[in-house]
Amino acid sequence: MENVIEVKNLTKEYKSLKAIDELSFSVQKGEILGLLGPNGSGKSTTINCILSLLNFQKGSIQIFGKEMKPDAYDIKRSLGVVFQDVAVLEELTVYENIDYFCGLYIEEQETREKYIKEALKLVGLEEFQKFYPKQLSGGLLRRLNIACGVSHKPKLIFLDEPTVAVDPQSRNNILDGIKELRNQGATIVYTTHYMEEVELLCDRVIILDKGHILASGTCDELKLLAHIEEKITVEGIQLEENQMQKLEKLKNVEDMLYSNDTLVMTYQKGKNNLVDFIEYLKKEKIRYSKIYSERPTLNDVFLELTGKELRD
Amino acid sequence: MTVFKAFLKVLNKSKAPIIMYTVFLIIFAAFNVEKNDNPAQFTDEKPSIYIVSREDATGINRNLVDYMKKKCKFVDLKGQSLEDALFYRDVSTILFLPEDFGKEIMEHKTPKVIIKSTQDVNASLTELILNKYIQTAYAYSRIAKTEEEVVEYMNATLSKETKVEVLSKLDTSHLNKATFYYNFLNYSLLAGLIYVICLIISSFKEEKIEKRTIVSSMEYKKFNRSLLLSNGLFALFLWAFYIILSMIMVGNIMFTTHGLFYILNAFIFSGCAVSIAFLIGNVIRNKNAINGIVNVIALGSCFLCGAFVPMEMLPKYVLNIAHILPSYWYIKTNEMIKTTEIFNIDSVTPMIINMGVVILFTIGFVIITNIITKRNRKKD
Repeated sequence: MENVIEVKNLTKEYKSLKAIDELSFSVQKGEILGLLGPNGSGKSTTINCILSLLNFQKGSIQIFGKEMKPDAYDIKRSLGVVFQDVAVLEELTVYENIDYFCGLYIEEQETREKYIKEALKLVGLEEFQKFYPKQLSGGLLRRLNIACGVSHKPKLIFLDEPTVAVDPQSRNNILDGIKELRNQGATIVYTTHYMEEVELLCDRVIILDKGHILASGTCDELKLLAHIEEKITVEGIQLEENQMQKLEKLKNVEDMLYSNDTLVMTYQKGKNNLVDFIEYLKKEKIRYSKIYSERPTLNDVFLELTGKELRD
Repeated sequence: MTVFKAFLKVLNKSKAPIIMYTVFLIIFAAFNVEKNDNPAQFTDEKPSIYIVSREDATGINRNLVDYMKKKCKFVDLKGQSLEDALFYRDVSTILFLPEDFGKEIMEHKTPKVIIKSTQDVNASLTELILNKYIQTAYAYSRIAKTEEEVVEYMNATLSKETKVEVLSKLDTSHLNKATFYYNFLNYSLLAGLIYVICLIISSFKEEKIEKRTIVSSMEYKKFNRSLLLSNGLFALFLWAFYIILSMIMVGNIMFTTHGLFYILNAFIFSGCAVSIAFLIGNVIRNKNAINGIVNVIALGSCFLCGAFVPMEMLPKYVLNIAHILPSYWYIKTNEMIKTTEIFNIDSVTPMIINMGVVILFTIGFVIITNIITKRNRKKD
């Protein structure tokens, strides 16, 4: 597979703080690479370094096999960037904004008009093209932000937390749009701290913390790093000390946490854990309001690797 | 073209404050041009005085009173106290002539004339007239034997007047109007251009928008050049608008060589104002701060450089400070144009030098802006 991005030993320091420490990774053509990590883990700094928006102390960055520099306009022609903050001109309408940002890449008006229409369709803003940004909701603004970043049909797209503070409808629309971009052949680097999005979209994930790569691989590969296999949560349950001691001794139980009438049982392995547990509760006449089982998530992987939650 | 088109759209969206601001400036300029009708013309004005002396005075004493009454405006105080008359500025000077004024002159002594005055320009003028009389009387007292003889000489001498014929063909009234208009234009151009250009640049160079521009495939230099050209075109439009306005407000003088130089000077200054606005726009990105900056820069330079108050009335140290501002050189050139009768190499060279200084300022501001934008492009 052809590497679109090649980052080697990237190090970025802010005085005494190492924001990125000897980071090396590559992005293959046509894949969606997720950069997952809590706030301050170095996701945006990495992207800003790749885009030559930030100076860095050490390392090399190659895009499409060429060294990335501030004046590498031939590379920039194939890049699309959607920043975390909505970056649109308040004085221009939705259509005019897309036209302006697309015009920074494409001079020919006819091509631009065609691309703008496609971008509007991609993010579902056809009805709002004459609206000014002030008239749009937060979700629609995010969609406009994406359209402005990808309207020129780039081969490589950087999406820096594009769904932060977005309503569910807009989020679904944005995620569908990203899938569509991938289907059109774009390579995507996607940063987020929403693990659900990563699981839904990304072919490969890099988990970052404090500028280091903690783990990388597909979602399934990463989940293997978590030593748990199943998590059963019981809500509205009231337990006494002796009952808890008995629960701890149940088959396959790895760990147990009880607080605020909620019990979380962690199982290392085994089949039919949920069925067995429900039967046990019935037999012991222990009442509860809700019970459900979960497979390990990337958050569990992160918890396993760092001892803290992704959103801490 | 992309940048220019977007520039026009942003400009169009910002037209309400621009129109309001321009209308305000036109009204203010028009009012001041009308008010400034012939401010520097000569008017013969006599200082108002009151003289305390013997009613039955004769000889030199009597002659001095008559002379002062002729040269100054003698005020009848009608019982008003002398202190009140001075306090309320009914008179500028009160002269107390000693009884033996004439005798002391004849004896070549200094007569003790007591002067009470408001210590203003009129009082100084009165003292000058009095001193002139005393000095002349002294001179004649050396050759004359009696007071009557001195008075005779004095009357013969002091009645002589020099005829002054003004040969200048300068239309001072219209030139004064034009100079005031073009000096005031310093404010209009600076305020208008800084306000509008900063407003537009703050939109285009807002940090997140600028990031998007930097990562795009448009060369950043080309983007800046397009933005600078767009601003330049706007400045050209504004300059042309103010020139047409000056033709309407000031009249025919604008179609003479004087007018041509005013127009050229304003054109060069407009370029400088664009570079200042572009520099400020690149340093300050906060739209809310623009109004304050317009006031500080435009009003500040106008007051320091003599756009509102004539240069000759400003203290020397203020004018020394003003040398570092382009407005000073612009206004100085306007003042030179006003007093130039014949345009030849000698009279035009200082104006060209001043205009050159303004151009150097423009180049300096452009270089500083380039350094700043280059530094902003890639951050540590």
